[in-house]
Amino acid sequence: MEKITIKINGKDIEALKDQSVLEVARENGIAIPALCSHPEIETQAGSCRVCLVEVSQNGRSRVVTSCNYPVRGGIEVRTDTDLVRRIRKGVVELLLSRTPDAPVIQKLARENGIEGSRFFVDEAEHYRNRCIACSLCTQVCEEVVGVSAISMLDRGRDKAPGTPYLKPSQACIGCGACAYACPTEAISMIDEGEVRKIWGREFKMLTCSVCGKPYIPEAQVEWIVKTTGKDRSFFDKCPDHR
Amino acid sequence: MDNRKLQSVKEFESYRTKIAESRKDEYPVIYVCGGTPCLAKGSRAVAHAFKKEIESQGLACKVELRHKVTGCQGFCSKGPVVSFGNDIVYLEVKPNHVPEIMEKTVKNAQVIDSLGYKDPQTKKRSASFEGIPFYSHQKGMILKGLREIDPLEIDDYIARGGYASLVRAFAMVPEEVIDLIAESGLRGRGGGGFPAGAKWKSCRAVDSEVRYVLCNGDEGDPGAFMDRSIMEGNPHAVIEGMIVGAWAVGAHHGYAYIRDEYPLAVKVMKKAVEDATAMGLLGRNILGTGFDFDIKITRGGGAFVCGESSALMRSIEGKVGEPRAKYIRSVEKGLYDLPTVLNNVETWTNVPLIVNNGAQWYRKTGTQGSPGTKVFSLAGKAVNTGLVEVPMGTTIRELVEKVGGGIRGGRKFKAVQTGGPSGGCIPESLADLPIDFDSLSKAGSMMGSGGIIVMDEATCMVDVAKYFISFLAEESCGKCSPCRDGLPRMKQILTDITEGRGKEGDIELLEELCEVLSYGALCGLGSSAPNPVLSTIKYFREEYEAHIRDKRCPAGVCRELVTFRIDADACTGCTLCAKQCPQACITGERKKAHVIDQSTCIKCGVCRDVCKFDAVRVE
Ligand SMILES: Cc1cc2nc3c(=O)[nH]c(=O)nc-3n(C[C@H](O)[C@H](O)[C@H](O)COP(=O)(O)O)c2cc1C
Ligand code: SF4
Ligand code: SF4
Ligand code: FES
Ligand code: FES
Repeated sequence: MEKITIKINGKDIEALKDQSVLEVARENGIAIPALCSHPEIETQAGSCRVCLVEVSQNGRSRVVTSCNYPVRGGIEVRTDTDLVRRIRKGVVELLLSRTPDAPVIQKLARENGIEGSRFFVDEAEHYRNRCIACSLCTQVCEEVVGVSAISMLDRGRDKAPGTPYLKPSQACIGCGACAYACPTEAISMIDEGEVRKIWGREFKMLTCSVCGKPYIPEAQVEWIVKTTGKDRSFFDKCPDHR
Repeated sequence: MDNRKLQSVKEFESYRTKIAESRKDEYPVIYVCGGTPCLAKGSRAVAHAFKKEIESQGLACKVELRHKVTGCQGFCSKGPVVSFGNDIVYLEVKPNHVPEIMEKTVKNAQVIDSLGYKDPQTKKRSASFEGIPFYSHQKGMILKGLREIDPLEIDDYIARGGYASLVRAFAMVPEEVIDLIAESGLRGRGGGGFPAGAKWKSCRAVDSEVRYVLCNGDEGDPGAFMDRSIMEGNPHAVIEGMIVGAWAVGAHHGYAYIRDEYPLAVKVMKKAVEDATAMGLLGRNILGTGFDFDIKITRGGGAFVCGESSALMRSIEGKVGEPRAKYIRSVEKGLYDLPTVLNNVETWTNVPLIVNNGAQWYRKTGTQGSPGTKVFSLAGKAVNTGLVEVPMGTTIRELVEKVGGGIRGGRKFKAVQTGGPSGGCIPESLADLPIDFDSLSKAGSMMGSGGIIVMDEATCMVDVAKYFISFLAEESCGKCSPCRDGLPRMKQILTDITEGRGKEGDIELLEELCEVLSYGALCGLGSSAPNPVLSTIKYFREEYEAHIRDKRCPAGVCRELVTFRIDADACTGCTLCAKQCPQACITGERKKAHVIDQSTCIKCGVCRDVCKFDAVRVE
């Protein structure tokens, strides 16, 4: 990996070519808000647009998403210009009008000086859910879990993740990786005793032989055994008691 | 068909000489337009009438009849169009005109002026391309082929000089071809106007075994039909351009991505690819040069955004046609993450012309910054509408008034909308602006792929902005938040304004949202979506203000903001409006002034449309 030097907010910073601006900034303690980026995803979708920064090179400057902008030697990044602030504020206000009760969006709104969205919010939409249609859940399901049980359905404002034809998916292993990854906690996953409910299906949970706690869906164990060849007995105990 | 395969450039040349010899136009050729608009107006029946007439007169072997096989002849609003070479053209031809045409024009070379164009001012008729302003102010570099060539017959194309540019290109090294295209100044006709030569050069410069050459035939702009007409009317020109491009950048595989709603274009392009392959102009070892190149036809994903380059490439890969970040350009990482050149249908069609005639010749047409011509679909309130081609740099006024023949019904010319849904509106006061990439962008609009909608005084500019924003909100793929959530908000605000709920501050809020979209959106759909709003605010702000402050629509378009009233002085009491009103809310005695009951009027405007005395006022 080629080492390069870039500037962030006026400071010289070492980075590896092709790292994302966001990654480099974080390694150097520079905060940039980001909702839809995930370190284990190969291609960052770049859909939430809150991670915007200004990048200039050869005297030309443009607003880009830091989570997927690959760094190159000589670029200058500014994370807090007036323009970036205005656009980010606008994006957050739009997200707030869509998901007014998502805590993470409310927090971002406060940080960006937004008191309430000026846009008309109709009731049905208001309580629809907290999804910002960032597609992270579906990417995690496909790339990290490897089952592709959910995908982004529909388009425009109706775009949302779901199982094929919104029917319970046989591919889903109930692992909940999507729910953990979701930045706005929009995915409903309910663990009740030995049953986990997610995406319209119920999964039987395996209990730990030591503490007796249900801790992993059986379907997930089967998937891991099948794909990694790990011994089934490994899952007798939960991670705390292995 | 393998026996038709031409093994060398020399064989190709002698094949052309042979067919050209056998096809010397000893007899007049009747070109019946087979473009979609003419077909809709009955050109098939006209062609059929010609066929019958020829047979019954025993001319079958002497007259080369072309029907449904030529592409659009341009003057769609006056179709069906029938022409004879590049001199005589008849408009609005009906089957019962056919015997006269056969007798006079075909047999005796006489021109029937009454079938020509009637000048609305001078009332003079003319049936020659030169004598009809719609045609005489055009320059048919691209469209000439559509009027003359049988798109289903490769021999017809070859006989008229088709595929000659391959011979020239193969005699050059690829870099020379790239330099030639760069020198010509050819810029992409699909929207952005990016210099084609520079694009090819950076693609060739990438170190890679595999490269791709793509043709964008997605043409998603509502009402636009330039690219469809070219693909349907002269498919081999597109293919020829792509072969030259492939040779230049070093690609061996190409795709033509064609909008799903264009089944005829798909069919014609497929046949053209098959025929070119059978002749050895595509495929392995083209004309014995050792160069391999094939073209596959892909049908579009059915969404407007699929015309965007990164979405188009995903769609060809069989994935969902969604845009993605292009911080690494597609000339480096395009289709299947390999170096790719994507050009528009019309861009490709320009390539053979440049290779055959040279860069200096090409630069003689158009402007310094935008050489060549541009094909437009001229639509809206102009007298003449259709497919037109003018040199870059022609002014908007020339296009509207000369080619378009002015505004229909003697109304006032108000504005033109250029650049498709995310283009902008340019007011009549700027109509002397030359049409080229840079002038249009500077004025807050864009060239786009070539849609031009002419607007008259009865057009409400807020309503226009609402129309385009609604279209774009509908077409947003939903991937990125500014576009997905911002466009519906803009649509909401515009709807409120047009329905009388506009508030102070709405214009500023729209401007704020526009900035968020133009900097924040992921792809060109979102980032250029502000154009229709910003350009109408810029040039017609007082119209927005009239809606917001006075709850008035100056153009009389927005229903919630207008009232229909009968002018007692102009009303003759003919009772026609009262009879036609669906609400029966117009009363009055015969021969006395009528009155509209405002409490039940639904503002449908029927009364205004039917009144012969122009007595219904919209306020
Ligand atoms: C939303 C969107 C839709 C587009 N649709 C088309 C289209 O239908 N046809 C086209 O040629 N270019 C379209 N473009 C432009 C293409 O992305 C691309 O710039 C073009 O095909 C490049 O070819 P050119 O340089 O020859 O113009 C579209 C762009 C955007 C952002
Ligand atoms: S559910 Fe969560 S992760 Fe999935 S698209 Fe919606 S916001 Fe993104
Ligand atoms: S700008 Fe619109 S169309 Fe383009 S990626 Fe974003 S949501 Fe999709
Ligand atoms: S984190 Fe970069 S676009 Fe969402
Ligand atoms: S289709 Fe006949 S002139 Fe356009």
